[in-house]
Amino acid sequence: MRPLEDVLREWEAVIGLEVHCALTTLATKMFCGCKLEFGAPPNTHTCPVCLGLPGALPVPNQAAIESIVLAGLATNCDIMKRSMFYRKGYLYPDMAKGFQITQGPVAFCMNGHLDLAMEGPGAGERVDLPQARERGAYATRIGVARIHLEEDAGKMIHVGGGEGRIAGATHSLVDFNRAGTPLIELVTRPDLRTPEEARRFMQKLRQIFLALGISSCSMEEGSLRADGNVSLRRRGSDGFGVKTELKNINSFKHLHDGLAYEICRQAEVLEAGGAIRQETRHWDPHAKRTVVMRVKETADDYRMFPDPDLAPYDLTDEFIERLRAKLPELPDQKVERLQAAFGLAAYDARQLAEDAATLAFFEDGMAIAGGDARAVAKPLANLLLNDVAAAAAGDGSFDLAAGPLTPDRAVELVTLMAEGAVSSRQGKEVLAAVLAEGKDPRAIVEERGMKQVSDAAAIEVVVDAVLAANPDQVAKYRAGKTGLIGYFVGQCMKATNGQGNPQVINQILAEKLGATE
Amino acid sequence: MPFAAMGIAAIQAGLRAGEFSAREVADAALARVRETDGAVHAFLEVTGSLAHEAADRVDAAIAAGSFDELGSLAGIPIGFKDNMNLAGTHTTCASRMLESYVSPYTATCVRKTLDAGAIPIGKTNMDEFAFGSSTESSAFGVTRNPWDLDRVPGGSSGGSAAAVAAGMVPVALGSDTGGSIRQPACFCGVVGVKPTYGLVSRYGIVAFGSSLDQVGPITRTVRDAAMALNVLTGRDERDCTSQECTVDFTANLNAGVAGMRIGIVPAFLQARGLAPEVKAKVEETAAQLQALGAHVVEVALPNAQKAMSAYYVLGPCEAFSNLTRFDGVRYGYCDPGHEDLGSQYEASRAVGFGPEARRRIMLGSYLLSSGVYDRYYYPAQQVRTLVTRDYARAFQQCDCILAPVVPTAAWRFGEKSDPTSMYLADMFTVSINLAGNGGMSVPVGFGADSGLPVGVQLIVPAFRDENMLRVAAAIESAIGQRGLSPLVESKGAVSFGLRGDAR
Repeated sequence: MRPLEDVLREWEAVIGLEVHCALTTLATKMFCGCKLEFGAPPNTHTCPVCLGLPGALPVPNQAAIESIVLAGLATNCDIMKRSMFYRKGYLYPDMAKGFQITQGPVAFCMNGHLDLAMEGPGAGERVDLPQARERGAYATRIGVARIHLEEDAGKMIHVGGGEGRIAGATHSLVDFNRAGTPLIELVTRPDLRTPEEARRFMQKLRQIFLALGISSCSMEEGSLRADGNVSLRRRGSDGFGVKTELKNINSFKHLHDGLAYEICRQAEVLEAGGAIRQETRHWDPHAKRTVVMRVKETADDYRMFPDPDLAPYDLTDEFIERLRAKLPELPDQKVERLQAAFGLAAYDARQLAEDAATLAFFEDGMAIAGGDARAVAKPLANLLLNDVAAAAAGDGSFDLAAGPLTPDRAVELVTLMAEGAVSSRQGKEVLAAVLAEGKDPRAIVEERGMKQVSDAAAIEVVVDAVLAANPDQVAKYRAGKTGLIGYFVGQCMKATNGQGNPQVINQILAEKLGATE
Repeated sequence: MPFAAMGIAAIQAGLRAGEFSAREVADAALARVRETDGAVHAFLEVTGSLAHEAADRVDAAIAAGSFDELGSLAGIPIGFKDNMNLAGTHTTCASRMLESYVSPYTATCVRKTLDAGAIPIGKTNMDEFAFGSSTESSAFGVTRNPWDLDRVPGGSSGGSAAAVAAGMVPVALGSDTGGSIRQPACFCGVVGVKPTYGLVSRYGIVAFGSSLDQVGPITRTVRDAAMALNVLTGRDERDCTSQECTVDFTANLNAGVAGMRIGIVPAFLQARGLAPEVKAKVEETAAQLQALGAHVVEVALPNAQKAMSAYYVLGPCEAFSNLTRFDGVRYGYCDPGHEDLGSQYEASRAVGFGPEARRRIMLGSYLLSSGVYDRYYYPAQQVRTLVTRDYARAFQQCDCILAPVVPTAAWRFGEKSDPTSMYLADMFTVSINLAGNGGMSVPVGFGADSGLPVGVQLIVPAFRDENMLRVAAAIESAIGQRGLSPLVESKGAVSFGLRGDAR
């Protein structure tokens, strides 16, 4: 198969996502009072309602409706004043009632959108956009068709086969703890064009849902999962090709890689004169390919109709406005605020806003810096996003909030660097020492005698000595080989045991080398 | 007076006065079941030990002087239709599918009567899953009409109506989706109330048509029905279609009908298939009410004829969906020896469900399928809206509509062998369920031709149920107290289908 960038030059991918998010932060299930708890012993959180026993009736969880309205407001949706629950027929042992309660044509939230700011890896894949080609950065708006509320099924456990799969199993068990878990399903419009956009959309959605506090959004535990629909069309065409669906994707990487594979596979089939079958496929991350789960020959008939046990659900303006007032600061608003308040670049601000712990640390740092906040902002952001992130990457157990690097120490360190008291190279050393020894940066600098020498008179003595010791190099430099400046700086740094201020050295070297002629 | 003839007030007066104990009341009811149910077969299960436990609680309260704190059904034997869950008893819905199903929980309406001190005598026979108007579709044998054992008791709450008519219990609960309380009450010469939709919680009633089902009492007197309603009604957190209710249904029973406007629907009285004796009873009752000071006015329900068609679309759609859960996997009939899930499902449902249940499941499945839905389900809902508006308009001109309940008196077993003629028996009752109004059947004597009990139907706007009880009480006192059914001697031992403690 050809690589993705290659394929995308001739083919345009049309991608839509269906994102399922379990409202795990709620106390109880969607239509009964059973506790929501992941990992409890099987069938310990059940009752006549979630077991679908004859005669039991559903009663909607008001808190779940608040959660979905928050999700709708945060994704710019219209909140529907009246929507209804529907029954979706499906006969399988994990669905105790023989139908799933979901929503019909009108969901609680309709017609929203999210804006994505794309840059960095993958941004260049949008060959159709001049900004993407020229600057490697572009903005795109992804439509949200709807967000509806529904209940999860029980969990089937197949015993006796390999890896819990149904093939080869001798019997199957059902755990109804999950049955009736409130789920929201967000359906995008087919507006995504690259696997990277799909990944960024999911990441952004996750940040929003986390900010709203409506879910743990744990992809490992399955509280956030996505189905991806993808089809191809020739660049310049505006029709739709036959799509395939990737089911139950539970990581950002799998979403990206699965879609990328599917795009390349479809291109290969189409280019060989073949046709795409409408089918559901599964991404196998080990084999790094998608495999067919089932072929959809006809549309399923779910016999949907309004649930007669649940009256149409009416939302008042007052209810909606009360929730709007409760909306927390959302990722885009955070980015704007960080840029405006501290003069950060958009990229840095977005990076900071992506991780709640990093952002909290940064904001604590800004508060400590007080009047110097704007001056300290960029170096502190750099410290966190580059140096601390590198340290964190090395060891999975790294916990910024609990670690020896406190916002006080971080601000102290970047202040030392900004004052010119330590060089940036020394800064990394100090950071490593803070993390290892849990001491204040100033104490470490003192202890190790790491003070940067910025005194011009002292440095001039060193520069003179270096130039005097290297007359040939000086001659070559003056003959035009100006690249030798780095050599001289290096010699001076060596002579000052690394404590000379590189800027001052540079400045004096430039004066001396230029002046003698 | 024998226990079998006593109503709620007489039993409670005797208990208060210490003339007999609740235990004796329970034993008398159980004995009456033993004596008469071999012939009638109103009960599918008799709950003797639960009855004794409940009676002993009542006796303890009498001894402690706290009898009046128990509630208005204290010491009263009661039967429950077998689609009502009572923890520890079978809830079979008269179906093979649920023959061995034991309820792990109790329905709200059942719980309320027990909390009010009622004595549970057992679970009554019904048409399978409440699909029918004769109780002939029960998988566990028919129930016989106590007035004529060769005739059906009506249905689907036929067991409850027959148990009350035969003097086994003064109160039994039924459920009514298209007439299933009013029609058997009419056939058995007893009072049957289908309250306004939302007045009684449906939680724990095995659903047939969720938007139509409503639980109500079957009793021998209007006052007993009102007392039962006082216990049954009110908001239940577990049924979000249930409503608050603070009405005392006994308050206006003696208020009379002077000045009330009673509506008559001429089209109903001209309906094809309406027996002359039934028509005559409705007209007699209208004249009686007029003599009592009511104004009789004519009202029109132009869409009532279409109600039948809409009902036989919406009912099966909801029933199909509600019955999907019976797959034989965790409970219910499971056909043995299948290799794959699909064939196990098919065989379990084919064997577990009787012909009428299968017919309605197939009908609902077809009506909801894509392409068909828009042509049937949706127009049926539109008809439902029209019918509801018809009633709203009619109730601007009257306080209560007087109508037939069933076109004829009780028919003989097997007489209505094709489903459609059975469906037509519901022509006067289904529109009330579609509109969600209150409706009831009150006995008005015996047909001139058949000699069998005939009732009339009273229909009121939603949540004005106290008004139909008031009219019913006036009719009842004008006609005078009726006796018990001339129940023939028990034919031999208690036999078919009886289960539980009485077996």
